[in-house]
Formats: sequence, C-alpha cells, structure tokens
Amino acid sequence: MILDSNILFQNYFSENRNYDEVLKSNMTINPNWETLLENINQLGLKELINKQNEVDWLMDETGVTYNVYNDPKGMHRPWNLNVVPFLIHENEWKTIEKGIIQRAELLNLILKDIYGKRELIKKGVIPHEVVFAHRGFLRQCDQIDYKTSKNLLIHSADLSRGPDGRMWVVNDRTQAPSGMGYALENRYAINRAVPSIFKNIHVQHSSSFFYGFNQMLIDAAHNNKDNPNIVILTPGPLNETYFEHSYLSSFLGCPLVTGNDLVVRNGKVWMKTLKELKQVDVILRRVDDVYMDPLELREDSYLGVAGLLDVVRNQNVTIINPIGSGVLENSGLIPFMNAISKYFLNEDLILPQIASWWCGQEKERQYVLSNLSNFVVKRIDRSNRESLFFCEFLDANQLEKLKREIQSNPYRFVAQEKISFSTAPDFVDGRLEPRKVMCRTFAIARKNSYSVMPGGLVRVAPEREDLHVSNQRGGVSKDFWIITDNPQTSMHHYAWDNTCKISISNINDLPSNTAENLYWSGRYLGRAIVTARFLRMVLNQMSNSQFNIQKIESEKLQFLFQSLTTITYTYPGFIGEDNEEALKNPLKEILSVIKDDKRLGSFAQTLNSFNNSYYSLRNLWSKDMWRVFDGIQKIWGRFKDEKKYAISDIIKLLDRIITRLIAFMGLIEESILVDQGLLMYFIGLQTEQAMMNVSKCRSLLVFNLEEHLQYEILESLLTSHESLNIYRYSYKSYLSLENVLNLILLDKEYPKSLTYQLKRIQKDIDRLPHSKNTEAVTECQRLIKEANIKIENLNINKLVELNDDSTLREHLDTELSELADLLHNMSLSISNTYFNHTYQQTQLVNQNFPL
Amino acid sequence: MVFQVSHTTSYFYESGVTFCHNLATLKPKDLLGQTVLDYQIVISPTPSEISEKLDFFGNTVTRFSIQKYHTELKVATHSKILRDYSLQPNIDESIEGKSITLQQALIALKSYQEPILDIRQYVLESILIAGISPEIKAYADISFKPDRPIFEAAYELMQRIYTDFEFNSEFTNVATPIHDVMKEKKGVCQDFAQIAIACVRSVGLPARYISGYIETVPPPGKEKLIGADASHAWFSMYIPKFGWVDFDPTNNQIPKNQHIVVSWGRDYYDVPPLKGVIYSTGKNKMKVAVDIRPAV
Repeated sequence: MILDSNILFQNYFSENRNYDEVLKSNMTINPNWETLLENINQLGLKELINKQNEVDWLMDETGVTYNVYNDPKGMHRPWNLNVVPFLIHENEWKTIEKGIIQRAELLNLILKDIYGKRELIKKGVIPHEVVFAHRGFLRQCDQIDYKTSKNLLIHSADLSRGPDGRMWVVNDRTQAPSGMGYALENRYAINRAVPSIFKNIHVQHSSSFFYGFNQMLIDAAHNNKDNPNIVILTPGPLNETYFEHSYLSSFLGCPLVTGNDLVVRNGKVWMKTLKELKQVDVILRRVDDVYMDPLELREDSYLGVAGLLDVVRNQNVTIINPIGSGVLENSGLIPFMNAISKYFLNEDLILPQIASWWCGQEKERQYVLSNLSNFVVKRIDRSNRESLFFCEFLDANQLEKLKREIQSNPYRFVAQEKISFSTAPDFVDGRLEPRKVMCRTFAIARKNSYSVMPGGLVRVAPEREDLHVSNQRGGVSKDFWIITDNPQTSMHHYAWDNTCKISISNINDLPSNTAENLYWSGRYLGRAIVTARFLRMVLNQMSNSQFNIQKIESEKLQFLFQSLTTITYTYPGFIGEDNEEALKNPLKEILSVIKDDKRLGSFAQTLNSFNNSYYSLRNLWSKDMWRVFDGIQKIWGRFKDEKKYAISDIIKLLDRIITRLIAFMGLIEESILVDQGLLMYFIGLQTEQAMMNVSKCRSLLVFNLEEHLQYEILESLLTSHESLNIYRYSYKSYLSLENVLNLILLDKEYPKSLTYQLKRIQKDIDRLPHSKNTEAVTECQRLIKEANIKIENLNINKLVELNDDSTLREHLDTELSELADLLHNMSLSISNTYFNHTYQQTQLVNQNFPL
Repeated sequence: MVFQVSHTTSYFYESGVTFCHNLATLKPKDLLGQTVLDYQIVISPTPSEISEKLDFFGNTVTRFSIQKYHTELKVATHSKILRDYSLQPNIDESIEGKSITLQQALIALKSYQEPILDIRQYVLESILIAGISPEIKAYADISFKPDRPIFEAAYELMQRIYTDFEFNSEFTNVATPIHDVMKEKKGVCQDFAQIAIACVRSVGLPARYISGYIETVPPPGKEKLIGADASHAWFSMYIPKFGWVDFDPTNNQIPKNQHIVVSWGRDYYDVPPLKGVIYSTGKNKMKVAVDIRPAV
C-alpha cells in the first residue's frame, strides 16, 4: 500500500516518531496489518466516523460501563472502545502464549513456595525482604494446602512491545484480574457494528477458552463436582468494574453475591438464600486479598466474610485466586525472575521484562541512587500512581526526598529503566493517531498447564504523548485480534454442553440480598409510576385552569395540591401553616416534589432509589431493559439541567418517563423467571401499588365535598388511576362515589382494584419458601390474609356513609387506614423473614490497622 | 517456681449478639525455663465451634464461634506455669554476646543461614511499627553506637524509656500510633515495648514484641488483691552469637521469674489476646481481670 494515498495516516507522525506497530521507520507498512488497513480504507473516513459513533452508541445502549471512584460523573461512565482493533499474528502469538504459560507457571510455583517451604529464600534465589517486606505477604495464609491443580488459577499480565520488537511484561495481576468481560464485550461490539472490518481476516475465537474457564470453576469444587455452588463475589455496584462482575455472573450462570450474602458457620461457607443457607463450593472473587476476611485480615472490611480464611485452611471452599496471591503483584520479583525460572524450570524467561534494580542490594542501590533521574522508581508492593516516580520529571527537591525514602527503606523500592513502548493507530477526531498500547492477557489453569485467551484486552493511553495507560483516567480500549492465515472452524458462540450448566434452579436458592433488591425494585417502580401519573394529572388540571379562573377551579386545585403532599409524603408542602407561599406559586413546589432528589418522598428520590436497587441487580436484566433504563436516565438528566420549566414541558417529560417505566414493567416480566426472583418483584410492586391506592382514596374521597367539586375530584382520581375509560365502559354513567369506590377498591376482576391487588399479593406470598424454623403460617401470610378478609367484608353503603356533622366519611377512613397498617406491617414482616438486617458486622475490639 | 494464672475477659453487649467469630491468643508458651503444666480455656456461652492452631509465629490461637443469642461473652483461661529463668542462657555468662558491637552485629545478620534468615524478618517494618521517624532514629542513636556492644545499648535504651516516658493509661489505646507516643512520651507497657522495638529496628537490629503477664508483689504486710495483675508486654532483641534477650522498659528490668510469656510477634497487631467479629447493632463494654499467684 502506498502510504500517501491513505488520508487516514496524514500527519500520523507529526511531532514524535515512535516505534509503531503498523508503520515501520522507513514508512512501509507491517504486512500483518495490510488487510485490516485495506478494510478500513474501504470504509472510508466518513463511514469510519459513523462506525465509531455506532460502537459508542452500542456500548452505551448495552450498558457497558466503568465506574470511577470519587468522581461525581464517574458512575456508569461508558466504556470506550476504539473502532480500530489491535492485532498480532498467530506466528508471533505462539511465542507470546508460550511465554505467558511459562510465566503463569512460574508465579504459581513462587506462590506455592512463598507460603510453603520458602526454598527460594533459603537457597538465596530471592532476597527475603522481597517477600517479607511486601504488604501482600499475608502470614495468615502461610502453609495452607490447596486441592486445586495449581495454586494460581488465573493469571493476567500487561504486555507492551519493547524497543527490541518483542512483547515485554510490564505488570502481573494475580489477585482478582479484571478485563475478561470487557474483552468479550469488545469483540461482540466490533462484530456487530463493523462486520466488514473482518473481511478476509481470520481472527481466533475465544469460545474454547471460556469453555475451559467454566470447567476450571467446576473442577475447583473438589468436594462437590456434580452440583457445585459457584458464586462470584463482588465488592458491590460502586466498584469500578461492577459491569464486568454482573456480566460474568450472567455469562457463567453463577450467582453474584456480596460479602453480606455469605456467612461462615460450622467450618463452611454458606450463601444466605430465601429458604435457608446453601453451602458454597467455589468463590470467584473480585475483592482484593486483605478485604476477604475481617476476622483475620483487614478488620474494617465489609466486603469479605468473617472466618473465611479458616474455611480455606480446612479445604472446605476454594477461592479463585487464593487469598495471599497479591504477594505476586511484586515488582521486587522482576530482577530475580530469570533466576527463579532457572531454578524451577531450568529455562530462561521467554517474555522479556523491563530491566529492574532492587534497591535492597547494596551495589544496585548505589547505582540507582547515583543515576536516579534516569529511572522510573516503584514501591515493590504498590502499583498506584502515588507510588510510581518518573524521575526524569522530578525537581531537585523531589529527587532528594525520594533518595532519602529509598535510603531509609531500600528494600521497598525497585528502579526500572525508562522504556518507550510501541504505539498503534487509534481513530481520534477523524484521523489515525499513534497511541501507546498495553495488552492485558489472561491465562487460566487447565489440565496441569495453563490455557491462554487468544487476544485479551488492549488499552490505549488517553493522550497522544501519555506514557501511562490506565482505565482509572478514562482510557480507551481496543478489540484484540490474533490473526491466522487459516479460516477458523470453531463455532463462534459461548454456549456449553449440559455437563457444566450451573444456574440458580429455583427461588429457594435466591440470595436474600438479591431478593431484597428485587422487592425494592418492585416497590420503587410502583411508586414511581403512581407518583408520575398523579403529578401529570395535577399538572394537566393546572394547565386547563389557567384559562378558566373560577372559584370552583381554584378550590379543586388546592384540594389536589394538598393531596399531592399527602400521597407523596412531602410534608409540609401544600399543607400546614406556612402553605401560603406554596399555594401562591404551586409550580415551584411541584417542581421541587419532582426534581429535588434531597427531598424525602420526591419523585427524583423515588427514581434514584429505583435506580440503585435496579443497578445492584443488573446481572438479571436483559439488554432491552438496560436500553429502557438508560433512556430514562438520559431523559431525566436532560430535564434536570434545564433552566426554565413550562407546565407543558413537565407534562411531556412525565409522559415520556411513564411510557418507559411501563415498558420496563413489561420487560421485567418477560426477562426474569418467577423462580429467579420475579415473585419478590411482584410482591413489591403490588404492595406499593396497593398502598398508593389506599393513600389516594383516603386523601381524595374521605372529605365530603360539594357536588360539583366532588365530580371533578372523582374524575381526577380516575384519571390519575388511568381508569376513566374502564369506568365509562363498566358503568356507562355519570361519575358517582359508589361506583368509583366499587371500581377502585372492591372490583374482583379489575387488576387495578385494591381487592384484586391484595388477592394477588396473597397468592404470591403463599409461594415464597418456608424455612424449617418458621411456623406453618408466616407472619406476612397472616397479615395479608387479614387484609383480604377485611376488604371482602367491606360494604359499599357503609363506606359512603357520612358522619354526624356531614363533613367526612369516617368509616371509609378507618377501614382504609387499617388496611394501610396491615400492608405496612406485612412489608416489615417480609423484610424480617426474608432479608437479613439482623446481621450487622462489628469488631469486638475496635482496632483498625491498615494492612 | 509454679504460678497459677487466671485471665478473664468479659464483654457486655448492649443489644445482644446473635453470632460471632473470635480469635484468642491466650495460651502461654512452652519455652526453656517456662513449662505449661496445665492450661484450660473456658468460654461462656459454650461455643458451637472451637479449634486450636499455631499461627505464623508459633503462638497458639484458639478460634471459636458462638451461634446463639447472648448478651455477655466471657473468656477465661486458667494455667499453671513452672517458671525457672535460670534454665535460660544467661547473657552475663556470654562474653561473645555481651560484647558484640552494633557494627559486628550488622555484619553477622547478613548471613543467609538459619536461624538468622528467619530472624531477619524482625528488622523489617511491621503493621504498627512502620515509617519509623527521624525522631525515633535519633532517640535510638543516643544509645546505639557502631562500636558499642548492643546489649549495653539496649539495656540503656530500656532505662531511658523507663525514665523519659510517663506511665499513663489514659493517654493511649491499642490503636495509638507510635509516633504520637514518642511525641507525648506517655503510654502503657505496650507503647513502651513498641517504641523500643522501633528504636532497635531503626539501627538495623531485630526486635520482637512479647505479650504476657507479670506478677505484681503487694507492699509488705498487705494481702494481694485479686485481679491486681494485668496483661503485660515487653520487647526482645536478637543478639547474634547469643540469642534473644528480653527487656521490660515498663519496669526497667530484664524479665526473670515474674514474667510469663504468652505469645510473640512483630508488634501488638500479631498477638492481640482476643479479637473478633460480632453481629450486633449496639455498643459493648469490656472488663479484664488477671490474677497471678504462686501455686499452692
């Protein structure tokens, strides 16, 4: 290919000329990339921009996110995928693969040795400080035996291409490596958005790797291979890679749990499910070492399980990777890796590493100290930016300070040569730009060796001249291809045979935390819909009355405003002594009830609560659900940022949100099985709708109003209930209080009537599991039954009866308030019976020391 | 000399505890000069699980969990200890040990031979003794000189801590950083032991933390009160060509028969007598009583 004909490469090397993956120094093109560049060329600039947008859209639509801690805009940040993939030819990859397998094996042997005989130290292969002064060396894990084929079951390495043209190892990730799920999703997105980019290129599939991954999890359940209970332990929805945790959970069919879902009893780990405790065989963890057991490790951790480490010691659970493997994330090992390789395998390292000097050695330290500004200095046990010093950029004072630090604890530091790694083309602002790339590879223990994912996750430096590649700063990723000269035969799908199908089989096994989130998703969704519809009705009335200023209109509006306060529980609002201000400018108060997320009972708060419980469950949702959810977020986000609000705009917003909430409701029912927990969601949804129903009737129908006003209010109630048409169809008459009460409270067939809702709740509660310890009839069963009996015995004539002074319908109010109490107590009782609030972990002695 | 030691820790939980996991490091060690004749641990309510293991440092750790609701936890140990310090090597009789200088000791510690290799971990920073400040180093340097015997230096360090620091149980708790103790020069035995360890490590020598008991002797003519004794802590320094030598900076003495060793580690973090995770919502109160008296 002739370079200057390619507009995409114009000014590719404008200032700095790097070692590049595609363009060689003589400006010829690496033949491995030719077909890909041809495909890109054929797409053309305009189409490439379109495709990049499509990829962005797809990532957004499917909800691939990456959270950034302590960043208000960091939650659910969309994952960035560049449209231009990164590739390596199979011929080169074969060597890299061998190198990765060798490295995984070495690290496995080191891990075994460090927590076992420590011969590497005794024989002088590695200095003891490299292990003993590393924070990740957990003495609590010493001499633990594992039944798995390898101690290190997953290994991940970051590779970059060094000046000699080979791929170098920059980092090892051994505790809970992330990225596999993102790699899968990247391939899916490129496949879908830009299929033509694969034209005439054979890319290796990773399906057999993931098949092996699943098999490895099953094999790790040494006590229970037939029906293993494998769980994925996540720190929770705030974690930066939570998307991936939930993605892997649905992909592998393993329950996603937090530390709070697990408990150690009688020497075993158990998952708290709706019915009882269920033993856990394997924990694939995404929680770092020291947070895994607050009894023996970090005491302030709420992410782990107290007593877990002793269960591991007794070989009653397998943790992947084992607790303590963080000691391998150790730049102090680098200078000794070749010697270790010689010692264990009698081989040289296949993959080169950055030349490194451990400062614990006298000679090395002197060399480092006298040439400090040429080095990158790291702490052996920290890879965060604060412990990484690019010495060429330090001033004299900073250098002096670093020198002193090195001298006082030399064994904690390693100095590394500055290396300029290769760049690869990245599509930015309509052209290709060279950016530093880093490849994360994945290896898993299989059949006494390791199996390597063909490809992996490629990350790109965020700025052109950036040396550092990191997701924390919002970097970009790439699909990573291993290309071959031969067509790929293996099927491109990830389904496995039945021998390794693991799934939650019925509602008894539902983790109680998940059950709780489902219940509250239902409650908040119900509340959001009812509230939005009521608000919409009130706003419609306001906009009608703007042109119709009559006494009756203002009376009606005031009555509706006050019931809005009651129903949403946003006191004082339109009620109370200081309500004049609110009544004078009702739109201001209504806007606050809609969008003030700090205000208890506001629509914004309900929506936030719904989002939170929803997001904690995202492993259960389908892609369609994410799309709808995301749609709500976007509409809401835009609305919140607006400067002025007209009534018609707010109504439009509510219309759009209501439509999506209803769509969401429909999607939930078709996306989750009742046994997967849908039951819990139904109970929550119906309970909330029933409660809101009661609350609306109490605030609108109890007072005796003058006839005309009464009519208006009945109409408003039916409108907010979306029942006006049904009423007209059923009664074909003028609105009467009796008929409205009959329809909304007493009708046995109408799904929006309270009678129907209570029946439905009872039916669903009866299907919930009973644990051995509870009575034949649970408290919540008893309460809902009582509510049903009560409503069956209501008499319409008595309900409409007025009290002596004809101001209100006392009987109606009493009955409704008793029903409200029953529902409230029932909800509490569900919570006490099925969710675990009783467990609040604290320390016996408060002594939080950083580990 | 035979001692009877009882050590009772009680916790009172305001709102009760449904479930707990605990670790107790309370069993005295068997050592040259210290023999455990009898040892019992009594826990109430009776644990549903209990087991015993040796930790990384060779201390006995009892692990137990209680799975029923309780408002009070009581952990009591009763041991009978035969103590005869004269069986231990005596530094006064070791010319080599007594005269080895800092310079010589540092060279000797470079060895890759066991047990030196294992001992070298006690030179490194530990959880509670980390980031040793220039102030601590300067404090150590007053006693430790390259050509001075390290035993003499450590003895002087012990004396200086005894004189310079005020015993004050109000000022510190188990989580007080050593640098605060150094600044205020106040604390309890645990703080003094950790200051001394920091000093010894700052000059490159190994030091470890000893947790145990000390018998208090009542004033002449008075009867000893039950529970007047307490858990105690001191430090030990490794002297090449001799071995570990204990120093008690709180009492300005080299431990003899009145000191009973329970456990050791790099600092307090490695050997808390009792710790645990409880599932509860309320506050809790703790009471400790230790009693040591000659066995009858």
